[in-house]
Amino acid sequence: MAETAAPQHQPGIVQTTEDKPKSGLEPGYVVICWNDPVNFMDYVTHVFQVVFGWPRKKAEFHMLQVHEQGKSLLTRESLEKAEHYVHQLQKYTLHATMERDE
Amino acid sequence: MKRIKATKSKLVFELGQREKRSLPQILKLYPCVPAAHHVLSKSGRVPDLAASQELLDEALAEQRAENRKQVEALLADPRRFGHTEMGARLSLSPAEAEWLMQVLNDIRVGSWVILGSPDKKPAELTAANAAHFLAMEMAGYFQMQLLEAVERET
Repeated sequence: MAETAAPQHQPGIVQTTEDKPKSGLEPGYVVICWNDPVNFMDYVTHVFQVVFGWPRKKAEFHMLQVHEQGKSLLTRESLEKAEHYVHQLQKYTLHATMERDE
Repeated sequence: MKRIKATKSKLVFELGQREKRSLPQILKLYPCVPAAHHVLSKSGRVPDLAASQELLDEALAEQRAENRKQVEALLADPRRFGHTEMGARLSLSPAEAEWLMQVLNDIRVGSWVILGSPDKKPAELTAANAAHFLAMEMAGYFQMQLLEAVERET
């Protein structure tokens, strides 16, 4: 991810509460954002805020995970919702995919 | 590019002479990201993957066509690029600024893909890659100016 200003981040403060699949019969799908060297860090944070409605701290937490660990699991959803989020993130040209949660 | 006025419904930017010339040139490059760049799933373990991928491709193609129309309308609208002594004045609603950031990021990422998706700046700029590198950098510059303006309002 292309670097912009580094946000202050204190591990442990941000709670990542991915939604669990509501039905035990329905498999969950995870939405993952992958690192690339071209999208600006501030832009990725902004997109997470817009697409998921997250507060800035949570968006920054996931952006830093992408930047430092190569990917971040953004949310766990039903098939349709996961598809919806991947569409939204790709409209912003972020490198996002959905994978079956196993 | 400097934000000179911001209300709830309008953001106004002052563009210098060079910016006034380069922004339309950069925007004319849209769309830049190849359709094949967008992949729904890496593992492929998604039901009806081919149909789902087709749905994504169609949604993005529709968006690209709509964006292209909007870019052309923006560039053709004399009220958007009001000439000033400094260069030009660009007026956008916050939603338009958000949209323009998406368009500019497509140009930035697309130029990077054309350059071969390098991890770092190309070691050597040549006649073949200089234009794409410039487009990537300029699109990023305008994108960040818009982002800063949008975020100052929220």
